[in-house]
Amino acid sequence: MEQLYPGLVLLAILFFMLGMGVWVAFSLLAVALAGLALFTNAPVGQAMATTIWGSSNSWALAALPMFIWMGEILFRTRLSEDMFRGLSPWLTRIPGRLLHVNILGCAIFAAVSGSSAATAATIGRMTIPELKRRGYDSRMSIGTLAGSGTLGLLIPPSIILIVYGVATDQSIARLFIAGVLPGLLLVALFMGYVTVWALLHPEGVPAGEGRRTWREKLYTIRHLAPVMLLIAAIIGSIYAGIASPTEAAALGVVFALLLSLLSGSLTPESFREALMGAVRTSAMIAFILAGASFLTVAMGFTGIPRELAAWIGALGLTPYELLAALTVFFIIMGMFLDGISVVVLTTSVIIPMIEQAGLDLIWFGIYIVLVVEMAQITPPVGFNLFVLQGLTGRDILYIARAALPFFLLLCAAVAIVIAFPGIATWLPQSMMAH
Amino acid sequence: MRTFLDRLYLFSGVASAVCLVVICLIVVAQVSLRFADNVVFLLTGDRYGLMVPSAAEFSGFFLAAASFLALAYTLRHGAHIRVNLFIRNIRGRARNMIEIFCLAVAGGISAFFAWNTLLMVLDSWQFHEVSFGIVPVPLWIPQSAMLAGLAILTVALLDDLVAVLRGRPPSYRAHEEAEASLAEEIEREI
Repeated sequence: MEQLYPGLVLLAILFFMLGMGVWVAFSLLAVALAGLALFTNAPVGQAMATTIWGSSNSWALAALPMFIWMGEILFRTRLSEDMFRGLSPWLTRIPGRLLHVNILGCAIFAAVSGSSAATAATIGRMTIPELKRRGYDSRMSIGTLAGSGTLGLLIPPSIILIVYGVATDQSIARLFIAGVLPGLLLVALFMGYVTVWALLHPEGVPAGEGRRTWREKLYTIRHLAPVMLLIAAIIGSIYAGIASPTEAAALGVVFALLLSLLSGSLTPESFREALMGAVRTSAMIAFILAGASFLTVAMGFTGIPRELAAWIGALGLTPYELLAALTVFFIIMGMFLDGISVVVLTTSVIIPMIEQAGLDLIWFGIYIVLVVEMAQITPPVGFNLFVLQGLTGRDILYIARAALPFFLLLCAAVAIVIAFPGIATWLPQSMMAH
Repeated sequence: MRTFLDRLYLFSGVASAVCLVVICLIVVAQVSLRFADNVVFLLTGDRYGLMVPSAAEFSGFFLAAASFLALAYTLRHGAHIRVNLFIRNIRGRARNMIEIFCLAVAGGISAFFAWNTLLMVLDSWQFHEVSFGIVPVPLWIPQSAMLAGLAILTVALLDDLVAVLRGRPPSYRAHEEAEASLAEEIEREI
């Protein structure tokens, strides 16, 4: 146990830094510096400069700012405004009707935006007043939103999967493809739950507004269809091996610009805002990744991950027990930190442990994103719950209770992905086959 | 001095934006040329090997430049994430002490990082290190962008440290609070 003492010292430093409000990237750098200076003889400064230079000039990582830019451009088109009108005519015949707009809207929006909190805020701003006006059950409106903000993060292009891929040196293309089926599984679980709920509680869902003709349906969805096609094209071209994620991302930017030009929302102003927004978000994430890459190397020098893996190995846990313990650990982390920070923080220490347990690292990437996003709606202190609190003016316990069924559905999804790992690994394997 | 510093942060942010545009152009050019090459191959059976030389490497270099040059600009906009959970309700002197601690830690690390990056750049220059690709790029050139970004970040952190020591709020406070009040604003709207 005393071999773990350096690890505990560094953990204390990390929590102190984070708790005091030191920026996440600087907290990571501080812990890495402390680890090298206190417990090794490595040349600290030189290791810092060369490691971070090496990890920062990366072709694969270039996908990150491009996808973020693409999302920023699409944010500024009429996409979010048309989400409600575009989707609702298609959903009037499913029990639960417009509640499904939250789920599908969030799935589409989160896929291009990469942030569950931003997605819940943007979609919620549009749908919550509409659903309220039409008399939908308010707890269900909030719950679907809280849950669905998290689900699109598995649907490519997923920023958090790029972060995981870069931090653990896994193929981003394979991770993207691995996320497709679990993402669809979640959509199915959420929509299934809403359907069953609506059949049991007909009073919570007001009557529909009559059928629409196909022509009307197609007309209302004209602004959404290109975005759905864009997501499909990104997934398809990566799966078929036609384009790498970075190439798909750069083409995505061009396509998004065209789309915003055609829809009349491209102005010098909106172009500048989107670009500078992308600059800020990608610099923020790139800096955290720089800190994480140095932390990973520093941890390697200290030997802590190896010893931790040996210690865990000596406990003789089955992979299921290990995953159960990790799930609890991630949920606790996710209460305080955003998903990306949790991923970079933990991968620098636990990857040797995961490899030793014989778990596939692509599969683990899907698992960690699921669990970390689940943590964001954990009652009572999930990250997204606070966003929704601001959005609806309800107290946090009400929101936590509204989100609870979706939290449990996410737990079920984690269990399914653990029991049937093929849901995540089958598509990437079939991709490798051709 | 104030105007000069503000322009420096804005300029480095704009330089970062230009780098992102360049990455996009390089990648799109690369994909288009590969596509053209395939079309020509299908039509004539000849391959000309059309491509952007060292496209992947250049994208990586511009990415590093984009990431580091934007650091100060991102800081001033309050866009670097931090855990607000424990400090958000602390006001007045205590909060100022916390900001001083954060800025001092970050400034110290940033200065140390910039200094060691300078040593790395000097090394690359002295030993004529070049990249491995088709186009051998002297490594000190892209590394200098990283150095510049870190130096400007250090200046920005010290700038804010001085401001807080003098009792003024840090530059990023306004943006952080704007985000918090946005939630309240939405609440009122509904």
